Amino acid sequence: MPVEAVTLADTTTKELPLLVLWLFKAGLIYGGLLGTAALMTLAERKVSAWIQYRIGPNRVGPWGLLQPLADGVKFIFKEEVVPDGANPLMFRLAPILSAVPAMLAIAVIPFAGEVKIGDWSFGTLSIANLDISVLYVGALTGLSVYGVILGGWSSNSKYSLLGGLRASAQMISYELTLLLAVLSVVLMNGSLDLRAIAADQASTGMWNAIVQPVAFVLFVIAMFAETNRHPFDFAECEPELVGGFHTEYSSMKFALFFLGEYCAMVVMACLATTFFLGGGALPFIAELAWYVELPVFCAKASSFLFLFLWVRWTLPRFRYDQLMTLGWQVMLPLALVNLFVTGAVVALGWHPLLMPLLAIAVLVPFALLFGRPRPRSESLTHEGAAG
Amino acid sequence: MTTIQINGKDVEVDPKQPLIHALHTNGCDVPMYCYHPGLSPVGSCRICQVEVQQGEGPSRVVVSCRTPVADGMRVFPDSEKAHDVRRECLEFLLKNHPLDCPICDKAGECDLQDYSFAEGQGEGRSVEPRRKLEKRKSLGDVIVLDEERCILCSRCVRFMEEVPKTPQLTVADLGARSVIATFMDRPLTGKYQGNLADVCPVGALTLSAFRFQARVWNLTKTTGTCGECSRGCSVTTEVLRGGELKRFRPRYNADVNTWWMCDVGRFAIEEHSLEGRLVGALVRGSRELEPADPFDAIDRAADVFTAPGHPVVIASPWLTVEEGERLRDLAEALGSEVHFLSPPANDLADDLLHTGDPCPNRRGLEGLGFSPIDAEAALELLSGATSALICGERIGALLGEGLGELPEKLRLVVLDTMPLDVPAVRAELGVPSSIERTGTWINVDGHAGKLGIARSAPPGVAPLVQTLDDLVARLSTTATAGGER
Amino acid sequence: MVIVKRKELSFWERLYLPEVVRGLSVTMRAIFRRKITRQYPEEPLATNEVTRGQPRLAVNEDDTIRCVSCGLCEIACPAYAITIDGQETDRFIEREPERFDIDMLRCILCGFCEEACPKDAIFMSEELELADFSREALVYDIEKLKRPISALQRRSDYVYKLNDRWHSSSSTS
Repeated sequence: MPVEAVTLADTTTKELPLLVLWLFKAGLIYGGLLGTAALMTLAERKVSAWIQYRIGPNRVGPWGLLQPLADGVKFIFKEEVVPDGANPLMFRLAPILSAVPAMLAIAVIPFAGEVKIGDWSFGTLSIANLDISVLYVGALTGLSVYGVILGGWSSNSKYSLLGGLRASAQMISYELTLLLAVLSVVLMNGSLDLRAIAADQASTGMWNAIVQPVAFVLFVIAMFAETNRHPFDFAECEPELVGGFHTEYSSMKFALFFLGEYCAMVVMACLATTFFLGGGALPFIAELAWYVELPVFCAKASSFLFLFLWVRWTLPRFRYDQLMTLGWQVMLPLALVNLFVTGAVVALGWHPLLMPLLAIAVLVPFALLFGRPRPRSESLTHEGAAG
Repeated sequence: MTTIQINGKDVEVDPKQPLIHALHTNGCDVPMYCYHPGLSPVGSCRICQVEVQQGEGPSRVVVSCRTPVADGMRVFPDSEKAHDVRRECLEFLLKNHPLDCPICDKAGECDLQDYSFAEGQGEGRSVEPRRKLEKRKSLGDVIVLDEERCILCSRCVRFMEEVPKTPQLTVADLGARSVIATFMDRPLTGKYQGNLADVCPVGALTLSAFRFQARVWNLTKTTGTCGECSRGCSVTTEVLRGGELKRFRPRYNADVNTWWMCDVGRFAIEEHSLEGRLVGALVRGSRELEPADPFDAIDRAADVFTAPGHPVVIASPWLTVEEGERLRDLAEALGSEVHFLSPPANDLADDLLHTGDPCPNRRGLEGLGFSPIDAEAALELLSGATSALICGERIGALLGEGLGELPEKLRLVVLDTMPLDVPAVRAELGVPSSIERTGTWINVDGHAGKLGIARSAPPGVAPLVQTLDDLVARLSTTATAGGER
Repeated sequence: MVIVKRKELSFWERLYLPEVVRGLSVTMRAIFRRKITRQYPEEPLATNEVTRGQPRLAVNEDDTIRCVSCGLCEIACPAYAITIDGQETDRFIEREPERFDIDMLRCILCGFCEEACPKDAIFMSEELELADFSREALVYDIEKLKRPISALQRRSDYVYKLNDRWHSSSSTS
């Protein structure tokens, strides 16, 4: 269902000049993004502490809230080391390539609908209004792999190189699943515009998490892999690769990698909210003002962010062959089957709520058919090859 | 020789010595307090009792220090009976001896402590209080008496009577009130008071200079030779934690000093003080003497000696034979005669140990061809020379004030323990003192006394032998280079 | 060689996701458990008489030091942390330390000095904190080591109790 284009020349409302509006919104949203990313570093340590019966950082500021600031200051004052034999240009470019695409993707996220304060209208609460924002997001997620592999390669260190290679292979593998899951959503809601997808879910009240459970699960799993988070953090993997692709990085360059990682997490959480939880919508309520939508959106995204941390401190890391098996032999076929089923339902004009039933009806035989445990010997040779 | 049987084994012993000597020389560790091999035996402490059987008669317990050896004597020093008797003696001695080893200065080298530890009982049985007597009674400048600790062995009394032959101490009063005292509490006199602290088997007589300064087990003990007169008494040099010299004690040497040494040598501690020592080397800069690398100082010294003319060489009387030989060779190469500074005899001479001659190695140096010269003549010789080497510990102090008046044209090289800041000096290197180096002194009777390294020399100070070798090597390379030129 | 037989996984376990959820529930429960962190500088470790902190020298009520510099702790010290120089004093005990240094960086808090001391002059205090900016500052001299006996009372009572037990057991055996 297409959404009416936002007309900027409305007669009854006053508007800011376009450039000022954009700058204002960009400042607001990027400030929020970077602030959230910074707070995530604190949240990561706090959640890990809680799960381990500890308190976590609490010395800098109340409840340790100024800890990210202290970390930032520390990063700035650290010595910046460029290893001997590193490619200086690429070495410096990689952290930027890692952080910037993650940040750019936030531009198309619709945090809330039309913002109106009195007579003033500010348009939707997103920086850019892009009709093909799904493609835009997909393209930028694809770019983030460059930061990792360039960082790994340009460090002139075997650990970094292995970490970068593994991570890029992983990200490419899971990107397929991720985008196939998104494609199901696109089929379901019939638009490539994130605003339209969110609005469609809000208007029908059927969130994609309900009508597309398989795509939802696949998206969440692939989301972890795309952001290099546990249990898929093959890029870093301290026990195997020292620090992975950022072994040789220090000071602000290292901080940029971290910023990129946390920004990617925020973006992914926002995407998941938009794709599967109806954006800022609440169940059974059709129309919501923007000042309700925004907190609801943030709450939903925050729960995804918490899931990131929660999973990280719960699950152990996959083995590399397990990772690849899961990606190519399980998730990709599932995503394809789900896409096929979705397409069939949409094409036949059946009620969307048939989707989960159909998916289960198709997937259970599929799982029983292909989900047999592999013979022991085969798995052993596989392990040997991977190791 | 007399043959006796100790623990069922026949041994030959000296008939002129008491039984305890025979036991000690045959590996029996019989305790003793009043007996001292250098003093006449009295048998007052009775701790040296052993079981003896003569002929077929019953065995008796005798005081071994007062028993002459006789043929056919069968001695059982470790029998149950002997031990019992000795244990009772020990308990009796400890009746009045305070048990404050943690405070007592003798702890660690105390016979009473050792034997109490080996044989004594854990707790005393007596309920009566111990004698309360004077704890700090000064017996002159050297010795402090603690009357409570005294076990009245009378070694000190006999020492004063028999060794310096100046009887001054006595056991005063009677019975349980007996104490060691001097007549009318007059201070002790004489040059041999320090030995009293050594002969005292407990902590009653202590040196006031050493009292409570250090625990004896913290002292590193090295054998050495006293350098304060030409007797060259054998000593043990005791140094606290490798640094500060704490005391000299006589070391038994039958040919030189037996068990004794005089207070002049015993208290020659200041002479080896580390304070103000010449560390490393000094060379004359544009005006002042400046600290320098020892090799640079040797270079400077070599420059002085390669100039035409024969330098005057004056050695310290503390030079060892080994160092003297090196110095003589160096002087021969330079075409100089060797002298050693010989201060006039002092009035400390006595008929026991001190010779009055302050040169510990006079015979050794004279044998090497050094000629003695007094300070006045030495200064005269120096003032007429163009270059000179004065060498050895304390040489600057012996030459005295006159060094400052030497003309500045004299180019003087000094190897001394103390820095010497006079205008004539061109280069100056530190040397180790006599407790910091090895070597040999020949004493007045021709006995060789060995020096031992009781502590390392101050930083940058090489042995004099090495410094002289370096100087010779430097001179020979200069000479070769000059020849090629 | 040890052959470890792997557990055969059930269907639900092979689905993986239910097990993941189970794991997540474990960690979620952990979040709400009581925290065991000790807020150290504000909440110091509880000490009792058995605590073997840093050794300290006991000072009597009349401000005289108990130590007679006998050197037994110096000899007993397995880490060679103690250095003592004695001097004569007019007090009854005749000898007192002129210098009593404990190198706290060497000290291993074993308590041998306390055990060796014949004068009850050195006790393992309840002081545990040790930090400074130079090694020299951590060689504690006599002034830094002095503590009034009241501050060491608990430990000294305990040591006396131990000694009594030791003596009684040794006399019976």
